[in-house]
Amino acid sequence: MRQLYSLLLLFSFLSFSFASSDYHEQLLLRPLHPSLLLASFNFQSNTTLTSFEQQNFRYFPRSLGQILQHANTRELHLRFSLGRWDAESWGARPWGGAREGGTGVELWAWVEADTDEEADGRWLTLTNALSGLFCASLNFIDSTRTTRPVMSFQPSGDHKNSTLESLHLLHGTLPREVVCTENLTPFLKLLPCKGKAGISSLLDGHKLFDASWQSMSIDVRPICPAGSNDCQLQITQTIDMVLDIQRSKRPRDNPIPRPVPNEELKCDTSKPYHSHDTCYPLDTAAQEEEWTLSQIFGHPLKGSCPLATDGVDPVCINVPHARQVYSSEGSHEHKDASGFMRCYQLDPEKEFELVLPQQEISEKAPLEQPLLYAERSFIGYGQERGGVQAILTNPSPTEAVDFVYMESLPWFMKLYLHTLKAKINGLDTHKDVIQEMYYRPALDRKRGTQLEVRILIPANSTVILTYDFEKAILRYTEYPPDANRGFDVAPAVITIGNVSIRTTSLLLPLPTPDFSMPYNVIILTSTVMALSFGFVFNLLVRRFVAVDEADQWDVRSVRLKVAELVKGKLKRFQKAQKVEKKE
Amino acid sequence: MMSIDRRKATLFGAAAAVRLLLFTSFPGLPDLLTARVEISTPVTSFKRLQEGLFLYNHNVSPYDGGVYHQAPLLLPLFSLLPSSATYPAFTYLLYVLLDLLSASALMSIAESGEAVSSKLFTSPRKDKRWSSFAIAAAFLFNPFTIATCIGRPTSVFTTCAILHAIAKAVNGNSFTAMFALSFAAYLSMYPILLFPPLALLCYDRRKPLKNPESMYSFVTGNAIAVGGSLYSLLHMSSLITGSWEFLSSTYGVQLLLPDLTPNVGLWWYFFIEMFDSFRNFFLGVFWIHLSAYVAGLTIRLRRQPLFVLTLLLGIFAIFKPYPSISDTSLFLAMLPLYRHVFPLMRYTFLASSTVLYATLLGPAFYYLWIYAGSGNANFFYAITLVWSLGLSLLTSDALFAVLRDELEVERPDLKGKEIRQI
Repeated sequence: MRQLYSLLLLFSFLSFSFASSDYHEQLLLRPLHPSLLLASFNFQSNTTLTSFEQQNFRYFPRSLGQILQHANTRELHLRFSLGRWDAESWGARPWGGAREGGTGVELWAWVEADTDEEADGRWLTLTNALSGLFCASLNFIDSTRTTRPVMSFQPSGDHKNSTLESLHLLHGTLPREVVCTENLTPFLKLLPCKGKAGISSLLDGHKLFDASWQSMSIDVRPICPAGSNDCQLQITQTIDMVLDIQRSKRPRDNPIPRPVPNEELKCDTSKPYHSHDTCYPLDTAAQEEEWTLSQIFGHPLKGSCPLATDGVDPVCINVPHARQVYSSEGSHEHKDASGFMRCYQLDPEKEFELVLPQQEISEKAPLEQPLLYAERSFIGYGQERGGVQAILTNPSPTEAVDFVYMESLPWFMKLYLHTLKAKINGLDTHKDVIQEMYYRPALDRKRGTQLEVRILIPANSTVILTYDFEKAILRYTEYPPDANRGFDVAPAVITIGNVSIRTTSLLLPLPTPDFSMPYNVIILTSTVMALSFGFVFNLLVRRFVAVDEADQWDVRSVRLKVAELVKGKLKRFQKAQKVEKKE
Repeated sequence: MMSIDRRKATLFGAAAAVRLLLFTSFPGLPDLLTARVEISTPVTSFKRLQEGLFLYNHNVSPYDGGVYHQAPLLLPLFSLLPSSATYPAFTYLLYVLLDLLSASALMSIAESGEAVSSKLFTSPRKDKRWSSFAIAAAFLFNPFTIATCIGRPTSVFTTCAILHAIAKAVNGNSFTAMFALSFAAYLSMYPILLFPPLALLCYDRRKPLKNPESMYSFVTGNAIAVGGSLYSLLHMSSLITGSWEFLSSTYGVQLLLPDLTPNVGLWWYFFIEMFDSFRNFFLGVFWIHLSAYVAGLTIRLRRQPLFVLTLLLGIFAIFKPYPSISDTSLFLAMLPLYRHVFPLMRYTFLASSTVLYATLLGPAFYYLWIYAGSGNANFFYAITLVWSLGLSLLTSDALFAVLRDELEVERPDLKGKEIRQI
C-alpha cells in the first residue's frame, strides 16, 4: 500500500506540474518475481485548447491533433496489448489497469455529434485515420465490433456541461490484431524526442515485442483546472512491459537457449546424492538476479531528452534501499523516504547505465494486491454450443468490491441471457450478486452483443458467472483464411471505479462448411430439387394410357419404325429421280 | 357409440401417459431433444422461445436481436404459464394437450370420409380405409411426433392449427377453418400457401344452401376472411410488442434465411456455399419452387382437395426454409387417410427404407461432424439429401397412386393393367 501511495504521489506531482512545463517523461523499473522486470514508460505533454484550435502545436503531435479535430473527437483512448498479466504472482497492474487494453487493439473515444448517425460517421472517420497513422487494422472496427458502453467507461477529462450532452462514447476492439514493430514506430514518432534521446531511446521492437506482457497506450483528454478557464489538452503515452531478465540477457546474435555447460551449473551441494554427475538446482529465490540496463534493453540510455525540462527525475527504480544499484557517472541518485524507491537525475550529454549486481537479499519491494482477480474461459465441448465461465475473486478480507463487468461478443456467438447465472462461493444467490444489468442483443451481421453487469462481491468471496451460447454457422465467404483456427473473442472489461481489468481474449472455434465444394453443393441440391419437381409435374401434366395403346419404344419397334422411315425417304428419292429422267 | 368414446379415451390416455412418462422418467431428455437440430430450428426452438420470453419479461424487445424469430403472441401465452425452469410440468401438459387436440382433429377428418369420397370423386377402393382410431394412433405413437412433443418446438402449435383448419373445412365450417389457417400462417408463414386447396375443400363441403354462391365469390369471401384475421393477429402483435419490427425478425428471417443453422432441409448448406452475388436470386428461385406446386396440384387434383393438402404438407416438409421432423410427422399423420391407395404405390419399400436410413444415420453423421470432428459438413449434408430424396419419392409415389385411382374411375377397363404416361 505504501508503494501505491508513493506512486500516486509521484503521479499527482506529475499531473500538477504540467502547468509549468509542456513535456515530461519518466521510466519506472520494478523487479517482479521470478526473474522478471516491469518497465513502465510514461510520456506526457500538453497544449492549451486555444492554441490547439489555432493549429498551433508545440509538443502535441500534429498528425494526431489534426485527426482529432477532423473527427470532432474530444477524448481518445487507444491501446495496443499483447500477452497476459499474471496477477497472482505479479500483483496489481501498472497504473491500476488504467493504461492497458485487451489483447490486440482497443479504442474508445468520446465523439461530439448531434445524432447517433453523425457520431457513427465521425467514428468511422476516426478509425480509418488512426488505422493509417498507426499501421493497424483499425479500419476493421465496423458496426459489429463497435459498442456504446452505458455503465463501464466514464470520461476522464474535464468536459464542459454543454458539450457533455452531445458527446457519444464509442468503443471498439480488434482481438485478432497482432501488435508489432510497425505499430511502435508511429508511436515513437508522436514523441517530442522521437526515440532519439531520453528514455524513449531504450525502446526497441526486438525487446518490446519479446516481452511476456506489454501494453502501449495513448490517451488524449482535456483538463480544466478548477476555477480557471484556461483549459489544456493533455496527451499521455505509456508503454508497459514485463521482460524476462534471463531471456533479455541472451545475446542477440545467438538467441537460441542452450543447456548450461556442466561447469556453470549451480548445484545444491547439501543434497546427499550430489556428485559429479548428479545435480539438484540451487534454490535462487533469495538471490537477486544480476542485470544492467543495456543488457535488458540492448543499449544504454542516450542521455535525457532536452525538451523535458521540468526537473522530474526521468528514471526511477523500485527496489529496497538495501539493494545495491550502481549508476553511471554524471547522474544523481535521490532516495525516497518510503524505503523502496530511488530516482536518478541524468546528465543530458552522457549515456546512462544502471548496474544491479547479483546479491543475496531477503527484503523485497512489496507487491500491491489487486482489487480483483478475474479469469474467463469457455466451458462445454463440440462446435454447436458452449458456455462462458468468468471466475471473479475478491481477495480483500474486509471490503466488498463493486464493479461493472462488460462483454462485447461477436454476433455469431448467440448468447442466451436467460441462462446467465451467478454463483457465489458455489451457492446460487443470483439476486444479491447481480445488481444491475444492461443488455443489447446481437443482430446477425449488423452488431455484436453488449452485456454490462454490475456485480457486488462481498469480502473474501468468489463469484462464478456462467452463461450459454450457440455458435452460428456462417456463409463460406465470411470465414477468415484460416477458418479452423477459430475466431477471437474480445476480453471482458471489468471497471472498478477508475481501475480497469481485462480478462484474456478467447478463441472460439466455429463449425465450418467444406470450402472446396460450392459448385458440388449447388449441383447436388439442384438435382434433388429437379428430381422432385420432375416426379410431381411429370405425373401432373401427362396422361395415363394402357401399355398397348401407347407407342412402343422397345428395340424391335424402334427398328421397324426406322426402317419404315428410311423406306419412305428412299421412295421419295426414287420418285424424284424418275421425274428428272423424264425431263 | 360408448365403446368408441371409451377407445378414444384409452388411446388419448395412453398417448398422454407415454409422453408424461418420457418427460418425468428421463429429466434430461426434454433439453437433449430441444438441442437437436432435427427437431428445433431457429424459427421454432424452445430454447430460443425461453430467451425471447426472458427478454420480453425484462422489457427488452426480443425482436431487436438475432435469437428470437417466433410469433409475438406466443410471448404473452408463455408468460402466463409458470416458468418452465421452475415448474416444467405446466409446459409439458400444454404440449401433451396440443398433441391430443391435433389427434382429435385428425380423427374428425378421418371420420368424415373425405379422403375416400369427396363431392366430386369417389374412390372404387373406398371400403379399404383405416378407422379414425387407427389413424389417430398412428399419429400419436409415431416416434417423430413423440420426439417433437418432448423437444417442445413451437411448430407443434402450427401443426395443431393446420389440422384444425382442415377438420373445420371438412365439416363445412369455412370461417373457423380460415381463422385456424390464418393462425397457422401467423405462426409460421408457409401455411398461407395451403389457402387455395383449403378454400376449395370448404367450398366442396359447405352446407347446401337454397341459392348456392359461385366458387369465385366463395373463395374471395374466404380470402377476405383470412386477410382480416391475419391483419387482426398482426395488429394485436404490434400492440403487444409496441412496434412492427417483429415482421422482419419473424417472416423476414424465413424469407431471407440469415440464420444458417443446420437442419434436415436443403436450404442451409446451399446458402452457406452460395456465391454472394447470386444469393438473392436463388432465394427467389427456392421460394418460387416451393409455391409452384400449389397451383399445379390444386388444378390437376381439383376433385380431391384434401389430397392436395396432404401432398403439399409433404412437399413443405422437404422444401421449406427451416424444416424439421415435426413437419414430416404432420405429413405422416395425413398420409394414412389414403390407406386405400397404398396398394397402388410402387416404391413404398424403397422410400420407407430411405427415410429410415436417413433417420438413423442423420444423428450419427451430425455427431461425427460437430463433436467427433472425424467427419465434415458434407456428411450431414449428404444425409439431408438422402432424407429429402426419400420423402420426395414418398410424396410423388402417393401422387401416382391417387392419379391411378382416379384413372380407374374414368376407365374401369384398365384396372390391374399396366399403364404408361404419354
